Amino acid sequence: MDKRQTKSLIFAGLLASLICATGAQAQDLSILTNRSPDRERLLIEGAKKEGQVVIYSAAIVNQALRPMAEAFMKKYPFVKLTYWRADTEEIVAKLSAEVRAKNVVADLVEGTGVGELAVETGLTVPYSTPATDELPEMYRDPRGNWASSRISYFGMAYNTKLVPPDQVPKTYDDLLDPKWKGKIAWRIGTSSGTPLFITTIRLSRGEDKAQEYFAKLSEQKIINFGSGSARTLVDRVIAGEIPIALNIFAHHPLISKAKGAPVNTVLLDPVPSTAGTMVVPKGVRHPHAAMLLADFILSKEGQEIFAKAEYFPVRPDVAPLETLAPVVPKRAGVQELFVGSEKLNRYYESSQKIWEERFR
Amino acid sequence: MAGAGGFFHRFEHWRVSPVVAILIAILLFAIVPPTIFLVNASFHETLPDGSPGAFTTRFYQQLMAGKLFLPSLINTIIYACGSALIAIVIGTTQALIVERTNAPGRKLAFLAAIISLGVPHILYTVAWLLLLGRSGPVNDLLASIFQRPQVLDVYSLWGMMLIEGVGFVPLTFLLMSSVLRSTDASFEEAAMMSGSSPFGAFMRISLRMAFPALAGLTLLIFVKAFESFEVPALVGLAGNVSVLTTMIYQSSRQAGAANYGEAGAYSVCLVIILLGLMFWQNQLSKNAKRYQTITGKGFRPRVIDLGIWRFPASALLVCLFLCVTVVPVLMLAFTSFQPFYGGVSLEAFTRLSLENYEALLKPGSFRDSILNTLTLGTMTATLVVPFTALCAWLVVRRASGAWMLDQIASVPLVFPAIILSVAFLDVFVNMSLPLYGTLLSVILASSVRYLPYGMRYAFAGAMQIHSDLEEAATISGANKVKIFFRILMPLLAATLVSSWLMIFLLSVQAVSLPLLLVGPGSEVMAVTLFELWQNGQVTELAAMGVLWIMLMTCVSITFHMLTRRHQLTV
Repeated sequence: MDKRQTKSLIFAGLLASLICATGAQAQDLSILTNRSPDRERLLIEGAKKEGQVVIYSAAIVNQALRPMAEAFMKKYPFVKLTYWRADTEEIVAKLSAEVRAKNVVADLVEGTGVGELAVETGLTVPYSTPATDELPEMYRDPRGNWASSRISYFGMAYNTKLVPPDQVPKTYDDLLDPKWKGKIAWRIGTSSGTPLFITTIRLSRGEDKAQEYFAKLSEQKIINFGSGSARTLVDRVIAGEIPIALNIFAHHPLISKAKGAPVNTVLLDPVPSTAGTMVVPKGVRHPHAAMLLADFILSKEGQEIFAKAEYFPVRPDVAPLETLAPVVPKRAGVQELFVGSEKLNRYYESSQKIWEERFR
Repeated sequence: MAGAGGFFHRFEHWRVSPVVAILIAILLFAIVPPTIFLVNASFHETLPDGSPGAFTTRFYQQLMAGKLFLPSLINTIIYACGSALIAIVIGTTQALIVERTNAPGRKLAFLAAIISLGVPHILYTVAWLLLLGRSGPVNDLLASIFQRPQVLDVYSLWGMMLIEGVGFVPLTFLLMSSVLRSTDASFEEAAMMSGSSPFGAFMRISLRMAFPALAGLTLLIFVKAFESFEVPALVGLAGNVSVLTTMIYQSSRQAGAANYGEAGAYSVCLVIILLGLMFWQNQLSKNAKRYQTITGKGFRPRVIDLGIWRFPASALLVCLFLCVTVVPVLMLAFTSFQPFYGGVSLEAFTRLSLENYEALLKPGSFRDSILNTLTLGTMTATLVVPFTALCAWLVVRRASGAWMLDQIASVPLVFPAIILSVAFLDVFVNMSLPLYGTLLSVILASSVRYLPYGMRYAFAGAMQIHSDLEEAATISGANKVKIFFRILMPLLAATLVSSWLMIFLLSVQAVSLPLLLVGPGSEVMAVTLFELWQNGQVTELAAMGVLWIMLMTCVSITFHMLTRRHQLTV
């Protein structure tokens, strides 16, 4: 591109921004909470006018986002869906910058841990859709700020070559055995790592007993793994570098085990679970299309796409992949402790402090 | 120095020439907004929604009082010095053999270095960890020799230095050879006439003449290691070796909420340390005239005849190439054919499979991102190279105020990429121009980010061009524009071409910078790679890495052939 082209590009940009500035107007957001019988019709009419919808999501592109987009656009060919994938931390950073600058690109935001954080910081507007009525009570927000889109269960991974079958820890207390000293790792720097583990113990045992437990657990010199995702930590377990990993996504070891990797999952009682949540950003530009998409993700069809992508659906009438079913607590006969984003957020700082004092 | 005085006198009108002022204005326009964001962030509380709150100095106080700050700082310094030392020693040796000896096949080292540059840092680190890790082949081998498990612990400070240092070898080599290439033979010849050995002449003359450029390069590598992230994160964190960048990373991601105070305070400290170092380097290059060697008299450097020693020299080059590039890439390739990574063993060879590639090459997997990536690299390099050439020339010719160009253009080097990304996000999202989320915004940001690299390259080249050619042109009636395009650019061509390719390769593999700037439709491949690292298995990542390296190798070789056709050695 030569200089003249660059100049004309900048000029065109200037012009376009002027046009945008005059064209922008306050959106009628009543559709977000409309539950009237002709909601579906209104959504489709509105979405036709809007013509596009943008989702920011933490779901994996190849398996989940792209098939979701393709199915959605097949059903509603008049809406062009585009997506941007990132981790929750990046999503929140981008979302907050957009809302502050009143330059909101996202219409719907989906990810684990996005929910309460975004709600509390005033980045969202409440919405309500009949689709959430299908969900179990604990996966819903009574105030309508967020709705769950998929569930994650957390468990312990171990290397089957390094941990003999008769010695595999089965409970949280088994982890305290001195023979595991220096052999257990957990993830730091992400809310589903140490904060979730510590919060789970606090919620299930009460503060005093939890502190006793942490005092003993800190003797184990747990390896602070801060260099990658839960999946990466499981890879280290498979490679034999770390015998035991805590609070990893319970289904990851199963996927690798099916390929012959020396790894397995143990569900410790209670099994912490979290939900991916959907929120609508303040200043949303395509509210009708956003609602249409939210409904689609919560529909049986949308949930089946998530299930196929190795996520756990929120709808009770959609079954997870048969190969992953063993880690669903209900099926395994283990208690599930749902730590919703509101709870996780409330306990985050104090749990983080416990980690800093005892385990850093 | 009378001649020089006259020279400056005649060039007096440079002082009123607006060129420097315009360049400074452009640089400031690019660099001031993120700097303001950074300083602001470090002195204000961050409100939950990410906007700045009340004024505070607590982040600095915390930094100084924190019990982890000092050990981390010491670790960082040891780590940066160690990596710079390894990179400089190996890279310079390589450059010497290639540029100044007659070792056979030496020119292939360029291709090797360019291929290595195409390996994204994160993959490179992963490959080394697979190699040297607790269950890697090296440890397995050592364990069978010494009869005890895990002889090497790569998750340590030395492991970090080794991986980082070796990772910088290609960059050092390329930069160093651009310095050595343009040294004048006549000085050495004079020394040899006076009875010095070729080697002695080289050590005493050429190496010393390259000193300012070498110092600049060392500084660059040092700073790069200082602010590097991949190795500290992947190697350091796993071994509980804390350095400053990983501290920033952890503090900026806490609770998921935007909080850049601590990270900002750290970055401000880093900028100050760096400005000090740059001041020192600027003092050095004040005497730059002493080091000018490309004069009107023909400048092709002398080649030292190694005699029979030229074969060991070639063997050394091959050896370095094997260690620096081939072995890690092979390790990646091996891993990419595994259903899961469980170490290197005979058993592992029985379960080779193509499933990772099948998963990645599903139709429509990368569609736009390849085109976006190539556009990003091409545009960034094309913006940065001529710009830095002009800046470097003005700096070297000491056009009034031009020293500021060098200082300002080096500033982006010290911003940790994570912070730069957030700062640019803030700038673009608030802009009235609809740049936010576009590929153009990523191109602009990465141009700023890679300015210092272009600058180092162009500076090393321009410093060695004597002003007599320009004086001759001036006397013959050429104006400044003409001199720049007709004399400087051709003389610098080889340097600029390498600089272009280097910036291309660096900008396409950057992850942290585009992470927040891209939007729907402007995704680039490096980010996809990073996502695989986050969500995929290491085997899928390796497969994607192999594909990426193949693509980059194709780009590099095409480029190499094109430039060869036009008589430019890269």
